[in-house]
Amino acid sequence: MAIRCIIVTPERTELDCEADSVTLPMFDGALGVLPGRAPLIGRLGFGTLQLETAAGPQRYFVDGGFAQVEDNVVSLLTSRSMSVDLLDVGEAEKALELAHEMPSKTPEQMQIKETAVRRARGQLRSAR
Amino acid sequence: MANARALDKRRKSIRNIRKITRTMELIATARYKKAMDRAHAATAYTEQITKIVSRLAAAGLDVKHPLLEQRDEVKSARVLVLNSNRGLCGGYNASVFREAIPRIKQLRDSVPRFHVDASGKRGVDGLGYRGIAIDQKFLNFEDQPAYAEVEKIAEGYLNQYITGEIDRLDVVYTKFISTSKQVATVQTLLPLGSLDEGVETDDNGGADSGGANVDYEFLPSAESILEEVVPTSFKVKLFKCFLDSAVSEQVARMIAMKGATENAGDMIKKLSMTYNRARQSQITGEIMEIIGGVEALEG
Repeated sequence: MAIRCIIVTPERTELDCEADSVTLPMFDGALGVLPGRAPLIGRLGFGTLQLETAAGPQRYFVDGGFAQVEDNVVSLLTSRSMSVDLLDVGEAEKALELAHEMPSKTPEQMQIKETAVRRARGQLRSAR
Repeated sequence: MANARALDKRRKSIRNIRKITRTMELIATARYKKAMDRAHAATAYTEQITKIVSRLAAAGLDVKHPLLEQRDEVKSARVLVLNSNRGLCGGYNASVFREAIPRIKQLRDSVPRFHVDASGKRGVDGLGYRGIAIDQKFLNFEDQPAYAEVEKIAEGYLNQYITGEIDRLDVVYTKFISTSKQVATVQTLLPLGSLDEGVETDDNGGADSGGANVDYEFLPSAESILEEVVPTSFKVKLFKCFLDSAVSEQVARMIAMKGATENAGDMIKKLSMTYNRARQSQITGEIMEIIGGVEALEG
């Protein structure tokens, strides 16, 4: 029994494959999914999605969004997703720097900055 | 009777124009198909979002979010006008202006702080010509708008809305209904109103999959997911506007160029007829002259 993993972005369906196990980068930490997992809807963070497939492990960067698990189908809705190999460490570091420079004078601005920093950190972690 | 050579020259130039318009038509058709595929791909995403929203609603969560609520006092508003970067697409840009201008005037009179953003060179030029100052210009969208770029704009608006810099955002774009029907519309994207109407309501989609009787585990909590769903659905909505505009533009260009090609064909036919007549009358004239000359010699 295998899990079907689907990554959907607004532009296209990025990935649709079978996997033995899936590790989701959730909002508050990693979450492993094995066949027969109870239905779940969760919020994704910025991090790496790990798939154990018959062809070997695969790693994808996921840029926030949602995950839905139902009947051994894991669907991820994210704004951006790509294979980790395509990420650039230098670029991620630059994004982190930019995020640190954002203003944080009001609570709203702070929240916006925090999100940007978290995203950049996730990107950097995946890139390394 | 017109000069036969001048007519022939004209016919040749029209033939060249026809060649160009036909090529443009073919290009527009190819681009339209590509843009259409992208729009289709985006629906997979919106459907999933709708599903999640319906699951949240089924879980008995009260759908409430600052982005969904009308603000009592609108102090500052923005209008985003989506046009094309290129012309030669019939009434595509004009119909967008026809919708946009009254709304812009109405908001300019009623809202203290008011700005207009425009996407597409034609939009920027057209609004400038009508004496409307443009705040932000986006010229980087062609037939395949990238989500990453739209997301940047969307995040800009979201941040402005959350920090209270704007209280309302209207988008004027061309809605794609079918290949033969596109309508320029004004849509208020912020505040969002209701979630269901935004992500094309697909009621049976949610109910048919039998989700109603499945108990979902919400991580970290339903409220937290809702907090994220609402901005995402705004971004996707804006993206959909851009996609619709891109598809409509290509359709408009396709139809305009088809008309132009047909007209050129008709004109060539008419000109050929006049040209043949002119040539014939010229020949007849020459023969008459020769006969006249011969007769004069004999006489």
